Amino acid sequence: MRKLSVLASIVLFLAVLITFWAAQRGPKPVELIPTLTGKPEYCLTCHADLPEISPAHPINAFGCIICHGGEPLALEADLAHSTMRGGRNPSDLVVVEASCGGTDCHSGPLEDQRDHIHRILTSVQSTYAGAIANIRYTFGAQPDLIARLGISAVQDDLIVTSTGIPSLAAFDPTQETSAAVQSFGGNCLNCHLSAKPGEDSAYARLAGCAACHTPTAGTNLESPIHQLTTSIPYTQCNTCHNRGNYDLRSLTFVPRQDTPTSRFEAYYQPIAQFVRCEWTLDCIDCHTRTEAMGDGDIHSSKKEIQYIQCRTCHGTIEELPQIQRVSGLDDLAIRLAFLNRNATETWNLKSGDIILVARQGEPLWNTRLLPDGSYELFGKATGQIFPFRPVKGSSCQQKADEQGSQFCHACHQEKR
Amino acid sequence: MLTFLVPYGAVVRNLHYWSAQFLIITACVHLIRVVFTGAYAPPRRFNYLLGLALLVIALFLDFTGYVLRWDEGIRWALVAGTNLVKSIPWLGPALYGVLIGGGKLGAATLTRFYAWHIFGLVLVMIILLTWHIFRVRRDGGIAVPPPELRQDNTRITRFELVRREVLAMILATVVLLLVAAFIPAPLAPPMKESSSMTADARAPWFFLWVQQMLKIGDPFLFGVLVPLCVLTILAIIPYLLPRPAPVELGKWFPKGNLIAQILVATISLFILGLTILALFPAQ
Repeated sequence: MRKLSVLASIVLFLAVLITFWAAQRGPKPVELIPTLTGKPEYCLTCHADLPEISPAHPINAFGCIICHGGEPLALEADLAHSTMRGGRNPSDLVVVEASCGGTDCHSGPLEDQRDHIHRILTSVQSTYAGAIANIRYTFGAQPDLIARLGISAVQDDLIVTSTGIPSLAAFDPTQETSAAVQSFGGNCLNCHLSAKPGEDSAYARLAGCAACHTPTAGTNLESPIHQLTTSIPYTQCNTCHNRGNYDLRSLTFVPRQDTPTSRFEAYYQPIAQFVRCEWTLDCIDCHTRTEAMGDGDIHSSKKEIQYIQCRTCHGTIEELPQIQRVSGLDDLAIRLAFLNRNATETWNLKSGDIILVARQGEPLWNTRLLPDGSYELFGKATGQIFPFRPVKGSSCQQKADEQGSQFCHACHQEKR
Repeated sequence: MLTFLVPYGAVVRNLHYWSAQFLIITACVHLIRVVFTGAYAPPRRFNYLLGLALLVIALFLDFTGYVLRWDEGIRWALVAGTNLVKSIPWLGPALYGVLIGGGKLGAATLTRFYAWHIFGLVLVMIILLTWHIFRVRRDGGIAVPPPELRQDNTRITRFELVRREVLAMILATVVLLLVAAFIPAPLAPPMKESSSMTADARAPWFFLWVQQMLKIGDPFLFGVLVPLCVLTILAIIPYLLPRPAPVELGKWFPKGNLIAQILVATISLFILGLTILALFPAQ
């Protein structure tokens, strides 16, 4: 009996050893405690190979969970990923408030220009309200061009512009009586921020913020791209813009058939005229964040918030473009320049620099007045420097009150 | 959290899980053994009732422990199990409120079930368990015929008793450790407020037989009354049914309580059958 007890004890000891061995055998978690949350995360156990998403979102401060959701301490892939927001893309507009929002992040106060999410949810990029209003008006479904419907229902409690409207209901093509509007609903809702991209790699983009800020153009979207950038190349804009035309008779989308081989051909609108800076620069070199992401109001047409003109940078024969002096490190211009990967070294915007400013007062941080009275522009995506001159004092004779692009195109159009 | 963050947390969690499962099986086997050896006969009638109460508490402990996982897998069991309580006439709604901590399932339910699991049930369990074991000694240890009817009157020493008990304990620990080391306790994605019922709407295995009966009809009848009837039948065995003769005490399958044996065997097969039906539903 005593021998049996000894034997049992040895067996117990062995069982304990085996248990410890089995517990050690499991995956070794790689722990990260981001400073913003202070809670451990094991995501890097498997995802150590992912590059940091952007210099503005350092991994040691943000970690993964704060944006992506998921189970921070699970080591089985299915369980760990089970509660992720938006699958691979937490910036999908359905979940963007939980992922990118919050008053400390991108749902911050209007005064600080940190209300990105409100702006993007109300902008024409996500409501598609202008296109919907135009088509419904054209086919008699509404009496004027004021938008009533958007891709999703949205409302705006603080209207700051004269063209802002308080709310939009969700556009439901099945509720429409006109067959043409129904057809539009079925065929043409593919260029807003929640739309599924077309199949060709030239259309490759994600949804939500990542549609623009993650450079996916030309990829197959299969392998995830862990990058957010404000240096958005024109190719990313072209995943929606310049991809073809809407046929207004059949209300279908007709993709472009050609394959552009040079930057010059990438601009695609058969009858459009354009000047050199419209194809040598990137879209975002001229079009500002407010134009691209909205001003916080719901608009009925993109025209209502498109305000960069030739004269914004070049002025007229009578006056020079508007300028403003960068004041202090909290100046929006400095903050925006800071977010650009290339700008810190190449552009080096400083307090005291004189930059151009759009009519609404939005700083064009990538421009600068030089001592000799000429200007230079920093290519946000390319990092190139482009010099340019004002109209005033040149041989241009264009009247100061006729500043639409068609007037400038008359002389400066590039031949195709 | 426990599984990976706490050192050896996974082992502790697995041990906790598997101990609880084995406890239910062991308790049931123990009950069957007691009936099949007539060991409930006086003076052990009252201790038999204590044992039954302990089995019920163990089942509730297992159920609350199961719910405390608070993941998608337990959703059905939580909703259906607590709705059974609500289906009791008169008493149901009040009992439901006390049980889940409020008028409807929510965050408070988790805290409430934790309280039941850690304090309410464990406290009663400790008292009854101590009493149960105390009664075993007081009733003269394991059931055997009275001294004058015994052929062999030798007894083991108390040291030998402890030695045997420790041996059994060690063996149980070895088995549990090895099971815990290699078979992880289940865990599903966390419960979401909004999500609908999962496809795997299944009660924990020890209540599968109740779940299977719920498919037949009225929840109060099949979910509450029938299990209560089973319990009542088990409880009245020592009091109303023929007992084994003193000479048969502690022997397997005594002739005296054949009816009780048949009854318990039937109940066991009934529960087992329903469980199998629930595990392997006919497509």
